[in-house]
Amino acid sequence: MGSDSDPGHSPSTLREIGVFARRNPVSAAGGVVGLLIILVAIAAPLIAPNDPLKADFKRLRTPPGSQNYFGTDQIGRDTLSRVIYGARSSIFVAFSAVLLGTTLGSLWGLASGYLGGRFDLFGQRLMEILQSFPDLILAMAISMAIGTGMQAVIVAIAITRIPFGGRVIRSVVLTVKELPYVEASRSTGASHLRIMALHVSPQCLAPYLVLATTHLGVAIVIEAALGFLGVGIPPPTPTWGNMLADSLTSLVPHWWLVFFPGLAITVTVLAFNLVGDGIRDTLDPRVYAGVLRSMTAPRRGGRSTPVGPAPLQIPSAS
Amino acid sequence: MQKYLLRRLIVSLPALFGVSVIVFVVMRVLPGDPLVAMFGAEGFTRLGESDRARIMADLGLSDPLPVQYLRWMKDIATGGLGKSFFRGDKVSELILHRGPLSAEIGVLSVIISWIVGLPVGIVSASRPNSFADNVARSLSVLFLAIPGFWLGMLIVLASLFWFHYKSPLLVVYLWEDPWTNLQLVIGPAVVLGLGQGAYIARMTRSCLLEVIREDYVRTAQAKGLAEGLVVIRHALPNALLPVITVSGILMGFVLGGSVAVEQAFGVPGLGAALVTAVVERDIIVVQNLVLLYGVIFMVINILVDLSYAWLDPRLRFQ
Repeated sequence: MGSDSDPGHSPSTLREIGVFARRNPVSAAGGVVGLLIILVAIAAPLIAPNDPLKADFKRLRTPPGSQNYFGTDQIGRDTLSRVIYGARSSIFVAFSAVLLGTTLGSLWGLASGYLGGRFDLFGQRLMEILQSFPDLILAMAISMAIGTGMQAVIVAIAITRIPFGGRVIRSVVLTVKELPYVEASRSTGASHLRIMALHVSPQCLAPYLVLATTHLGVAIVIEAALGFLGVGIPPPTPTWGNMLADSLTSLVPHWWLVFFPGLAITVTVLAFNLVGDGIRDTLDPRVYAGVLRSMTAPRRGGRSTPVGPAPLQIPSAS
Repeated sequence: MQKYLLRRLIVSLPALFGVSVIVFVVMRVLPGDPLVAMFGAEGFTRLGESDRARIMADLGLSDPLPVQYLRWMKDIATGGLGKSFFRGDKVSELILHRGPLSAEIGVLSVIISWIVGLPVGIVSASRPNSFADNVARSLSVLFLAIPGFWLGMLIVLASLFWFHYKSPLLVVYLWEDPWTNLQLVIGPAVVLGLGQGAYIARMTRSCLLEVIREDYVRTAQAKGLAEGLVVIRHALPNALLPVITVSGILMGFVLGGSVAVEQAFGVPGLGAALVTAVVERDIIVVQNLVLLYGVIFMVINILVDLSYAWLDPRLRFQ
């Protein structure tokens, strides 16, 4: 999809985004909403009307009104401000976890697919074992083990993303490494490391991007679920998940304490999913066919070596 | 078929071993002392050095790790699974007590997902890009983004506000009191079912569209069969194979998701037990439950592969 003849770099990038937006108006809308949410997260201190941590004991559990647009919680904190600050934790955790997990997984997949042999066999088994756990359960156990806190949550979610990156990139590498140009560079005496870094890895860039964007939504849901279950980022830091958990502490939950944080999660996940779908359809038209092919080829004797790219859109935990 | 089953089982044994080792190791790298979790930070400082050593020995946590691992395997072999730190209950009793509710929710949710997803997918595929198709696709995109636990919380809230109804909080089995039991499980089952249904509808649509283009379907149309009959009798059976696989993959989503959804509905199932154990840092309970979730997920994957071999004769006679 490159307009190679264009000498100027940024105008052609802009034009490509324009073409993308015209072809996928829904994805573009998702992208705009996603960007807005990221902006809100960055500029939270400027936008939030109140301090998200400041308790106001004169205004406990007030319904939404002119003073607090989204109402206040059990100890009188402004829900709108907390939702805005919550975007910070959610977005930061999701981006870091996906970046970390997908990158580690992709590097593993690159080495595993290129080197093959015993390393590949061992790696494949390990990925299968990691994928034997439901996402959320694995993330819960890991985040419990390494202690609650933002880093722990990021690591826990990242580990659940590693096998997806590993399998998809591995299958790409398996086809790429047989191509004549790779063989040619091998014949000129290039080292394995050089071939992997300069000749094979560029081919993995598109699937890597697709993986990263399609997993953002999942990461946000897992982060929220961890917070909701009390093993996420600990209070008082506002996150959408622990706000929902807080709302359960009162006997009769107040609707605004349940509705707004959850709405924020849904809108964010929806926006990122739409962008992810658009990018996937644009960068990787084979994926749909590939998903079908890898699924119609069942695990013979339990060893799944998908023919095409492994399914990218994976069910999330929630 | 039996050979296939046998081979499949043999190959999953090493994976099972790996899964148990990973669970064990993750549970033993806990940075916090389990005694701190048991007695609280204050209580911990009040314990003398000898008391700490004695309690750790009582719990069996001061032995070398391989010994602890072997003891765990022995506990599994004898069916007791060890005891909870806090209540002294056997974990096997906990599973027998809470498990049936969760299993019921899981099975019911899969049934609901097929009842909802399949017809929607068929309608979508038989008139692609029609109004009905667009509505169905938008709804499925929406349901893929809504976190199940939030939807559950909204349902609980709505039924409380409008009908003053709250579901019972007891463990009631289907065979004791079917009506109360249904009230307990229907909410989580519907929420989880809709989430999976969105994937099933999507997959059914794309697979049907793929199959409908094939020659034998055109032949069926050419000989004048009613369009509905062509889709249901000729196209659907071939399109269903990948849908079944997706349904199996979605079981991971059900297993993980049910933990958060049970929490949202306040259903005292296995997921709720896991959450309690994780929050209390009850290592023995957590390691057994996480292993159980892993094993169930593996068994489901085997069953999906078997159903595949059963449905596709080409595989059976290989």
